[in-house]
Amino acid sequence: MQLVEKIVKGERAAIAKAITLVESSKENDKKESRRLISELLNKPGKSIRIGFSGPPGVGKSTFIESFGRYLVEKNYKLGILAIDPSSQITGGSILGDKTRMIEISKNPNTFIRSTPSRGSLGGISLGTREASIILDAAGYDFIFIETVGVGQSETMATNLVDIFSLIVGPGSGDELQGIKKGITEYADIFIVNKNDGDLKSEASKTASDYKSAISYYKKSSDVAEKEVLLVSAIEQTGMEKVIETIQNIVTQNKKNKNFDERRAKQFTYWIEEEVREIIQFSIQNKIKEDGSISKFSQKVMNGEIQMFDAIEAITQNLQNK
Amino acid sequence: MKTKNSENYTKWQKSFEQETKIDLSEASSDTDEGIKIKPVYTKADIENLSFVDNDSLPGQLPYTRGPKASMYTNRPWTIRQYAGFSTAEESNEFYKKNLKSGQKGLSVAFDLPTHRGYDSDDDLVMGDVGKAGVAIDTVEDMKILFNDIPLDQMSVSMTMNGAVLPVLSSFVVAGEEQNVNKNLLSGTIQNDILKEFMVRNTYIYPPDPSMKIVADIIEFTSKEMPKFNSISISGYHMQEAGADNVLELAYTLADGMEYVRAALSKGLDIDDFAPRLSFFFAIGTDFFMEIAKLRAARTLWYKIMKDFGAKNEKSMILRTHCQTSGVSLTEKDPYNNIIRTSYEALSAILGGTQSLHTNSFDEAIALPTDESARIARNTQLILQNETGVTNTVDPLAGSYFIESLTDELSKKAWEIIEEIESLGGMTKAVKAGVPKLKIEESATKKQAKVDSGSRVVVGVNKFKNPKEPQVDVRVIDNNKVRDDQIKKINDIKASRDQKAVDESLAKLVSAAKEDSNLLACSIDAIKNRATVGEVSKALEQVYGRHFATSLSVSGVYGKHFEGDKNYMNVAKKVNTFEEENGRRPRVLIVKMGQDGHDRGAKIVATSFADMGFDVDMGPLFQSPKDVAKDAIENDVHAIGVSTLAAGHKTLVPELMKSLKKIDPNSKIVVFVGGVIPEQDYDFLYENNISAIFGPGSNIIESAETVIDLISDKIHKNN
Ligand code: B12
Ligand SMILES: Nc1nc2c(ncn2[C@@H]2O[C@H](COP(=O)(O)OP(=O)(O)O)[C@@H](O)[C@H]2O)c(=O)[nH]1
Ligand SMILES: [Mg+2]
Repeated sequence: MQLVEKIVKGERAAIAKAITLVESSKENDKKESRRLISELLNKPGKSIRIGFSGPPGVGKSTFIESFGRYLVEKNYKLGILAIDPSSQITGGSILGDKTRMIEISKNPNTFIRSTPSRGSLGGISLGTREASIILDAAGYDFIFIETVGVGQSETMATNLVDIFSLIVGPGSGDELQGIKKGITEYADIFIVNKNDGDLKSEASKTASDYKSAISYYKKSSDVAEKEVLLVSAIEQTGMEKVIETIQNIVTQNKKNKNFDERRAKQFTYWIEEEVREIIQFSIQNKIKEDGSISKFSQKVMNGEIQMFDAIEAITQNLQNK
Repeated sequence: MKTKNSENYTKWQKSFEQETKIDLSEASSDTDEGIKIKPVYTKADIENLSFVDNDSLPGQLPYTRGPKASMYTNRPWTIRQYAGFSTAEESNEFYKKNLKSGQKGLSVAFDLPTHRGYDSDDDLVMGDVGKAGVAIDTVEDMKILFNDIPLDQMSVSMTMNGAVLPVLSSFVVAGEEQNVNKNLLSGTIQNDILKEFMVRNTYIYPPDPSMKIVADIIEFTSKEMPKFNSISISGYHMQEAGADNVLELAYTLADGMEYVRAALSKGLDIDDFAPRLSFFFAIGTDFFMEIAKLRAARTLWYKIMKDFGAKNEKSMILRTHCQTSGVSLTEKDPYNNIIRTSYEALSAILGGTQSLHTNSFDEAIALPTDESARIARNTQLILQNETGVTNTVDPLAGSYFIESLTDELSKKAWEIIEEIESLGGMTKAVKAGVPKLKIEESATKKQAKVDSGSRVVVGVNKFKNPKEPQVDVRVIDNNKVRDDQIKKINDIKASRDQKAVDESLAKLVSAAKEDSNLLACSIDAIKNRATVGEVSKALEQVYGRHFATSLSVSGVYGKHFEGDKNYMNVAKKVNTFEEENGRRPRVLIVKMGQDGHDRGAKIVATSFADMGFDVDMGPLFQSPKDVAKDAIENDVHAIGVSTLAAGHKTLVPELMKSLKKIDPNSKIVVFVGGVIPEQDYDFLYENNISAIFGPGSNIIESAETVIDLISDKIHKNN
């Protein structure tokens, strides 16, 4: 497949078209997408995938710009998938994350793709996982995934990334009480942003809130320790510590096999999901063609047959098809 | 108790309802400001006013009726036309001609590279040199600009905010080298940075250091330049960006309060600088509202300054320049603009402005020609000499309607001011981006009203001229201007004392680090022939360059079109498109070069999103190369270039080249919107531009064209 070669060579337009393909909601595209991804999986790169999640306005995009600038200066290649919330009313969207990534978007060593979140309320969008496979094959060292919302942490951490980090703002420590469990479980790094100007003392306080929150978490010896970091995206401070932490986690998790195990689990889950989707799709088609549901429900209404028997009959019917 | 008044009123109401068949309570008209204008006003409407004092006279507190007792009866307002283009030589010629023909004050329009602190030889400004104003790179340019114009006699207004230090310095040094001491210089420097972050977009540094620079200038001028207005606190740009009159009024005065505080923090006494604060408002088509706005502005400023503890009467008086509204002027049937401008000018005068700029009828096409500028100037000369409007001060005082409207505007603006103050003042609000968003919301509503036809614009959405006239346009060859400027820069760099330049720039940098006054240091550097760009870059080392983060309104446009046939039609096309293509039509909307006009781009973006498009919004000041990378990585179907500052003939071909360079097979549809003279259409089409949307384009129709063009392209490729 020509597209595969172009992606591996790092051709920008090919990577972009491939991402469009894996994001497409058309059935034909989905098949093609699966074929493409299978081929790309034979040409794995060396990317580390890192998720950056957090409520709107905490500075995720600004942080990615700032941290990204730091990384490209060190000659890393950076792929960024930014998922922008779509408007719920019309389904259209304004993708504005890139207006916060002005410097890095100019750099030839970056690839930045914004994707509207569609129905998924600002979480992971259709095709994000596949897009990260494409960027991996294309040779990016890091793949950053920006998503909105804390509620997404579980899916994100378990499905998609090697390291999951939560970005929070000064003063958000109070909200910790309610969400402690999910957070301590799934986030590998907590980044307290906006540690600058008037907000500094509030930011430090928030950081200690998080530190004490994660101290409740029972540490299992073979997993890298969770970290709380203070940064200012605007002033570009704290960035060394972020990359250091990332590298430590990667090294440690690789050493104790945690890294590969996590990926293996994600892979199993992914295949299961795909299988489920395909079956669901074909069942749906069968139901549509078959038409027996409405037939039987009429009979149930008329008292000609009991509901339980109707269900049995319909399923039997569909399974035999 | 039945008074004669109330009896009359009841009778009138009955007749009114009979004539109109409308219940009086339903008969008010809603303004953009959310004010209900009644069909009739009576004495009752001016009893118990909150801000207006019915007994006050012109030149008396609260100054509602004018800053001076005699107003135009003694001296008419100053005719001050804003102009500048190409090189200093050409602009100087133009100024001298205008002064001969009756213009009284000068007002300099700088080009966008100068505004943003770039020299003409900078790669970032390739398409912008001399295009939308005059290019000033060194003090030598400034001296040419005022050649044969004695600076001790001519008052000069300069619209400069971002690069205010090097430009004001150049003016001071140009004066000095004309043998005019700085304490004799009269005029105004705009120096209003807050509204740059909100709407005008020629900022350089982040808000905090920018505010420090403003304060430095107020401090320096209050001590050294007693005849010079240290700032022109501007609402004009807000209205042009889409603010209604209440927003314009409130934000401007709130900005003013912030500047007062900044100056006070320097340890100045309020009465030492407050008399030199001046204002600038836009005058749009809402005739009475605009008159009331100027009266309300004076009334409120008096209150504000009294609360600040000013003692000197001059500190409490708001003096203002006005400009008629450019955004009310149309590309279609452009001679109508002469009429619009005349009425707006009359509003400004009835409101009691101190000086006035009237726009040319080719406003929505290009910079004015000599001919269109002459007509614009004559509009004021006719008002001054033929109509008798100068014979009576504040002739509308006592009008039930005007007085009541003045009070109502004051009240509404005051509410907003109090809200901003309670949240910590305008700098904070601006940093959070709230005022900008409010203005964009207001602009989007206005667009929806015009596009839906509920607001009539003659010649645009009604009473169209079947035979559009062709008008001449001023053409500026920016490549030539750029070459000329580069030559001048190189000559100066070759002949100056480089060591002195380096030392004075180093001093400037340390002054910035030590937080001492920057204007004096900047004057030294400029005297040594440092360039505007060098001074700006020196400070950039300390402060960094500011990049705006922009928010977007959503749903405001769409709300006006619930059930509208054309709107629904486009929304349906978008859905069909998604079914056929597996994703929505995706359009990248961009601003390239130094053009900071973002009103149109933002409105089009939010409206397209409302109709279901996925819209990528590029940041301001992108280079064609950056746009191409962005477009290709996001695999957009189309790029919409919004261009208003005349960079299109350079930047659009560059973009097409950059696209092909990254992807020789690129199928991206490119279209262009904004201020584009018809004379340039063929050029753009030859560069493979698929469609051009000029001023006044209906956005729903534009969206339909765009989706059709994208679909066509996809079908052709399959
Ligand atoms: C409003 C305005 C301003 C505001 C801008 C506020 C803002 N944030 O946008 C203010 C007052 C700040 C301003 C300042 C300046 N301005 Co001005 N401004 C205008 C004005 C009066 C109206 C523009 C406008 O917003 N119209 C309303 C919007 C909705 O219309 P629009 O942008 O044209 O968009 C419509 C269509 O064009 C089309 N469209 C546009 N883009 C796109 C994109 C897509 C994808 C699509 C589908 C359609 C589309 O659809 C839109 C809806 O109908 C024009 C003159 C005019 N009447 O056009 C001058 C004008 C553009 N300005 C001009 C100049 C020179 C300046 C300054 C450079 C002056 C100076 N030397 O200091 C400054 C600097 C500004 C800067 N940073 O770039 C000149 C440019 C000269 C030229 N092209 O040759 C003009 C033409 C006036 C003139 N004749 O002198 N300006
Ligand atoms: N003070 C401060 N503000 C920041 C910082 N990072 C981001 N912001 C501001 O927070 C707002 C939201 O930033 P953005 O990156 O869009 O947030 P996102 O929604 O999480 O992607 C913007 O106004 C930023 O300027 C920071 O480090 N310090
Ligand atoms: Mg973001």
